[in-house]
Amino acid sequence: MKPLNLLKHEIDKCVRCGTCRSTCPTTKVLGVETASPRGRVSLVSAYSSGEIGLSETYLKHLRECTLCGACRTNCPNGVDTVSIFASARAEAVEKQGAPLAASLAFRGLRDPGGIVGMGLKLARRLQGLLFKDASAGAGLVSRFSLPLVGNGRLIPPLAGTFFLDLPEVRAYESSKGAPGEAGKPRVAFYAGCGVNYLMPWVGTKSVELIRRAGAVVSVPGGQACCGMPAYAMGDLAAAREMARKNLEALESSGADLIATSCATCGHGLKSIMPELLSDDPGLKLRAEKVASRVRDISELLLNDLGFRGAGGGSGASTVVTYHDPCHLGRAQGLREAPRELIKMGRGTVLKEMKNPCLCCGLGGGLMYTNYELSMEIAGKKAENIKKSGADVVATACPGCIIQLKDGLHRAGVQTEVKHVVELL
Amino acid sequence: MLTNVVKHGLERIVGEANCSFSKEELLCYSYDATNTLHQPDAVVFPSGPEEVSLVLKMANSEGFPVVPRGAGTGFSGGSLPVGGGVVLSFERMRNILEIDTENMVAIVEPGVVTWDLQQAVEKLGLFYPPDPSSLKFSTIGGNIAECAGGPRAVKYGVTRDYVLGLEAVLPTGEIINTGVRTAKGVVGYDLTRLLVGSEGTLGVVTKAVLKLLPLPETTTTMLALFPDLRDAARATSAIIRARIIPSTLEIMDSVSIKCVEGFAKTGLPEAEALLLIEVDGHKAAVETEAEAVRRVCLENGAGEFRTASDRNEVKDLWKARRAVSAALYKARPGKINEDIVVPRSRIPDLVDGLRGISERHGVLIASFGHAGDGNIHVNIMHDRKSQAEAALAAAEDVFRLAVGLGGTISGEHGVGSAKSRYLDMELKPDAIAAMKRIKEAFDPKGILNPGKIFPGPGPQKRAPAGAGYAESK
Ligand SMILES: Cc1cc2nc3c(=O)[nH]c(=O)nc-3n(C[C@H](O)[C@H](O)[C@H](O)COP(=O)(O)OP(=O)(O)OC[C@H]3O[C@@H](n4cnc5c(N)ncnc54)[C@H](O)[C@@H]3O)c2cc1C
Ligand code: SF4
Ligand code: SF4
Repeated sequence: MKPLNLLKHEIDKCVRCGTCRSTCPTTKVLGVETASPRGRVSLVSAYSSGEIGLSETYLKHLRECTLCGACRTNCPNGVDTVSIFASARAEAVEKQGAPLAASLAFRGLRDPGGIVGMGLKLARRLQGLLFKDASAGAGLVSRFSLPLVGNGRLIPPLAGTFFLDLPEVRAYESSKGAPGEAGKPRVAFYAGCGVNYLMPWVGTKSVELIRRAGAVVSVPGGQACCGMPAYAMGDLAAAREMARKNLEALESSGADLIATSCATCGHGLKSIMPELLSDDPGLKLRAEKVASRVRDISELLLNDLGFRGAGGGSGASTVVTYHDPCHLGRAQGLREAPRELIKMGRGTVLKEMKNPCLCCGLGGGLMYTNYELSMEIAGKKAENIKKSGADVVATACPGCIIQLKDGLHRAGVQTEVKHVVELL
Repeated sequence: MLTNVVKHGLERIVGEANCSFSKEELLCYSYDATNTLHQPDAVVFPSGPEEVSLVLKMANSEGFPVVPRGAGTGFSGGSLPVGGGVVLSFERMRNILEIDTENMVAIVEPGVVTWDLQQAVEKLGLFYPPDPSSLKFSTIGGNIAECAGGPRAVKYGVTRDYVLGLEAVLPTGEIINTGVRTAKGVVGYDLTRLLVGSEGTLGVVTKAVLKLLPLPETTTTMLALFPDLRDAARATSAIIRARIIPSTLEIMDSVSIKCVEGFAKTGLPEAEALLLIEVDGHKAAVETEAEAVRRVCLENGAGEFRTASDRNEVKDLWKARRAVSAALYKARPGKINEDIVVPRSRIPDLVDGLRGISERHGVLIASFGHAGDGNIHVNIMHDRKSQAEAALAAAEDVFRLAVGLGGTISGEHGVGSAKSRYLDMELKPDAIAAMKRIKEAFDPKGILNPGKIFPGPGPQKRAPAGAGYAESK
């Protein structure tokens, strides 16, 4: 990953045309230049030339960004805004000395009000988890902001048994466990924090589908958080540690392909893990090898395994709309595959909503640093979902699921939220 | 610099939350799409005409400049606080107040983004035609102040043609209403038209009454490729001569095409020049016109002609077209961007003239734009270090050429601070003097957007940056 001083050329590529104002979810909500990609690039530019320091105002505007990448995709000059913002955040954490994600996590835990409403038992488990190994649950805190309970927040309940602890999953720890069809690849399933702690059923369903499609599945032990939340918060040291752990776990699984049902983890493993480890040429090479084998569940099922559906779609009755996770649509270029899966669902018809790739507002740690803004963005999304008239909104990322549920709940919209695999 | 009295005064008027003095926030209001920097001393976000009025009254009594600002996407420096002072940002006044379907009128606040208005009225079967390429991010206030135009101008006219009336605050603080919300109205001087295109120097727009049209039944989008820019220019004149008024008739040369190739998923074909043409209206008429356009293009040397087959292809083509201006930097790091207009029949002569200028000064010239109304964006692409002088000299030659062909030095971007020193290339001294008297009558103390349109006193030094010049920091 490039430090900020090596990104000067990238920053100077911005000609301040303002095109990106039209694509940014935070500009949509707040309207002002300081909450626009162009404003943020200008601020980072001023910071890197020494015109301004690491002031609170600077950091506020820098962190009021979901890193959704919409500005990068639409910039006529191809300015890599996301890298600029990520590097600027990393530099801030480095200079301020405090690994942000972790310190925030523990601040949340120390605040007794922070755990009210979660159920003491669960809170204790979470606390234990985080104290035992901060890297294991970093995503829970900075991504799902779990121990922090805001006003009227819909808190995602912690799973009774975590996915990786389920007996049937442990049985899959090595790929010898399950028989597969000849000629089909061996697949390692990577869970990620969202699936592991919050929605294990998405994991079990994914594993079941991979098996149904004829592949041998393993769920390798030693998996850590994908590191994306720490990366987004600028805590590179933590993110690197997780990247190394995952590299080892996934390498030693010996699988041909690695599947995940989380868009963010997918993007993290495919692109960010090698970037994080790029300082060490040896590690980088290994990471790139592993990265090239990572697949989102939808592309794995459709492209690698030739999955053709459950075949049970009699008389369509459920109208499903699809939300493109930023980390799947824009970051991995996967827009069609999840839609194809929805069309194969049991009795489902797909109906597009307006602007399906508008960010849900969760990313970049925004729900953590500015929950209100994050929810206002989710509100825009909820409006589009409501207008689509769909019964179900499906998506392919646990983060988006949590956020959409919260946003819809706030807006009083009844639409159900599901992971795409749940429709199959 | 503003005194503390002024700062507190501003806070009292708009509320602390709608006022910024911090270096970081000021930085974000110090540029526009010309990419030049002038830092203001304060940014305020008014919520209505009364607040604007109070700010302007204080500016008169305390003596500081006030600069209205929409989205800051102007190409002539109109919203730059060249002499510091207070930026009046309309980003928080962005409500569509009313869409009157019966009388086909919309009433909006100035910060509404043009595209948002268009989406809202189109849902009701209505149409707001002005479509600057910046339509997805520029504001109605900015469009009115610059009299923005776009591809559709060839058939539907420019912003001016859709402003029926305004609520505006005069530089001295009075809140006035101009114009009407009816189709006609001739009572008194036409202050609406005076304010439209006045670049925020005569009044601050706080509300606009806009004319709407019925949404055309259908639109057909076509693409014609030419082996030579001159052929494309000839085809343009020929289409108009054939008595067809397309709803858009856009031209792009090979440099422009190359810079945005990646933007259309379907890919832009390689060609020396292309025309992007649309005809709209009733289905039967559109079919006949589209066929006529095809014939004329092929007769005038088009090597290939296609009709877009679905909405996504159309969206793609426009995305690419709208990206040209900003994407040209891929060709060269320096750009001077002029939006001259010549009579349509003289476009071929313009093309020849530009070739000469490019050769004479050794700069790369990229041309694209609204061929249908003769408004060509001429971009002088150059190396910022070694060619700055040559580029400025070329720009002057471009103006001379345009005026010589019976045209104008700016069709839609305005004069602002970037082009003021060229004003007398087009206007006679008496006309400039008359305009200055109008400005003085409206703004005796010269507090509203000073330093724009008219060159400052004293000998005109050559500004280091020309229009649209991206200054390296
Ligand atoms: C990529 C790109 C493409 C473009 N394409 C076109 C095009 O095709 N056609 C075209 O005409 N222009 C085009 N422009 C130029 C620009 O977008 C227009 O001039 C637009 O109208 C500016 O709107 P804005 O909201 O950004 O205004 P700003 O740049 O903020 O301001 C422009 C002027 O309006 C004044 N102003 C703003 N709001 C008010 C108000 N409420 N009351 C009084 N004065 C006000 C300002 O003082 C300033 O003088 C393009 C720009 C870009 C970056
Ligand atoms: S679209 Fe790109 S070049 Fe234009 S202002 Fe945004 S980041 Fe800068
Ligand atoms: S990454 Fe997304 S939220 Fe951040 S500035 Fe770009 S468009 Fe806005």
